[in-house]
Amino acid sequence: MAMLRDYLRPTRLWAPAPIKPHYQVVIIGGGIHGLATAYFLAKTHGIRDVAVLERHYIGFGGSGRNTAIVRANQRTAASVRLYDEGLKLWPVLVDELDFNLMFFNSGNLNLAHSEAAVAAFRMAIGTANFLGIRSELLDPLQCRELIPALDISDRPEHPIQAGMYHPPGGTLRHDAVVWALAKGAAAHGVHIHQGVEVTGIDTDGGRVTGVQTNRGALQCRQLGIMAGGYGTALCTLIGLELPVHPLTIQAMVTQPLKPFLNHVVSSGAYHVYATQTLKGEIATGAHMDPQVNYTTDPTARYFKHQAEALTDFMPVLKDVKFMRTWAGLADMTPDMAPIMDANVGFDGLYLDVGWGYFGFKAGPIAGKYLAEMIARDQIPEIISPFGLGRFLENRYAGETAGAMKYGHWDS
Amino acid sequence: MTFMLTCPICGRRELHEFLCGGQERGPRPPQEGLSAEAHFRYAQFRSIPPAPQPEWWYHGQGCGVWFKATRNPATNREERPGG
Repeated sequence: MAMLRDYLRPTRLWAPAPIKPHYQVVIIGGGIHGLATAYFLAKTHGIRDVAVLERHYIGFGGSGRNTAIVRANQRTAASVRLYDEGLKLWPVLVDELDFNLMFFNSGNLNLAHSEAAVAAFRMAIGTANFLGIRSELLDPLQCRELIPALDISDRPEHPIQAGMYHPPGGTLRHDAVVWALAKGAAAHGVHIHQGVEVTGIDTDGGRVTGVQTNRGALQCRQLGIMAGGYGTALCTLIGLELPVHPLTIQAMVTQPLKPFLNHVVSSGAYHVYATQTLKGEIATGAHMDPQVNYTTDPTARYFKHQAEALTDFMPVLKDVKFMRTWAGLADMTPDMAPIMDANVGFDGLYLDVGWGYFGFKAGPIAGKYLAEMIARDQIPEIISPFGLGRFLENRYAGETAGAMKYGHWDS
Repeated sequence: MTFMLTCPICGRRELHEFLCGGQERGPRPPQEGLSAEAHFRYAQFRSIPPAPQPEWWYHGQGCGVWFKATRNPATNREERPGG
């Protein structure tokens, strides 16, 4: 009985730690990127003198607000390599962190409703196949075999012309990823400080020396800005301009339904993606408000759009109710690829911003390479295409030509 | 989140009548002797603090005027003189 009681007693995943006045590495942002970076710094590189500062609670931002879809069928080889490695990391992390991340390897089906979209699929499939990743073009009948609820007739406003099926993708439980990484990082000695807001960044002679917070000053030798959409605001503290627009992106869930949607389905023309969660809800989203904005307030107008879009190509969803809605930040770059760079403007400043709506997919793998970048103070080859300098040298990453471009956001 | 914006001709109207033209960044730098880096900095690089900023807006579903308004990205609301 004693053993059973011990087993059932709630245990903390990590212990609170006192705030030290000095750390070797301070990471701003207690989301998946920041926690993963801290975890790999401590575990792989033996750098344990690390603090993760989170203004609210861990996973408050994009890490807890995304729709948890993962895939590796982007447009450019540079992106696909990184996301593919990220996809293969999830099962490893489940074992390593001893935490059920609820990785549901359901596969993604993207729908094309025009010849241009089919051409974009062919290009993306070519890139994926060249890199040894499964991705294939399906005709409408094959799409319906995967998702019987799809209306493949000529009735919908945008009839389905083809599908891009990517079996390695799927979904995870995003909160579990945050908690597991926090648990893993803390077990290796990382300090996680919640409710600590950075109000200033200290520099001296072109070097970052620490941060000012609502809980006092902290010194550090290396500083990582890994705060998702809020990174754009943090960079203004040191006068660093970025080619990044933080925009509010919205999502919503329906009432729970019996399982009928066994794949992630998405459509650029309808401006919508949808998955059925393990609870049975249809989680759906895609809309971004076009003006830059740090709030996370949804707009009622877009329930209507979402309902019209979903019920047009999946009419079985008619009369299903939306239960709740929320929003998060997507920090958009002009080429829809992220920015990961070292010693930006100041020595010791490491940047991880501009993930747009791809931040969740690559969280742990980005953390792995960001940790290597901080530990060795050099940029790992796989993330070298994502430096800030590309925007000044006209070397854009080219992700805007991808099949999954959900909308017009550049203003 | 939606809000009201003040068109200089039509008065306060609902957000969805407007298109956002982005941050006001002053005049275009002179083309003469403009380096690629300076061009890209002007075209793409921004500072977006969570504080009121001047912006361009277009009253597309109204009178069709382009005008400047001040909006705060931290609240996503227009800042009007006198509140």
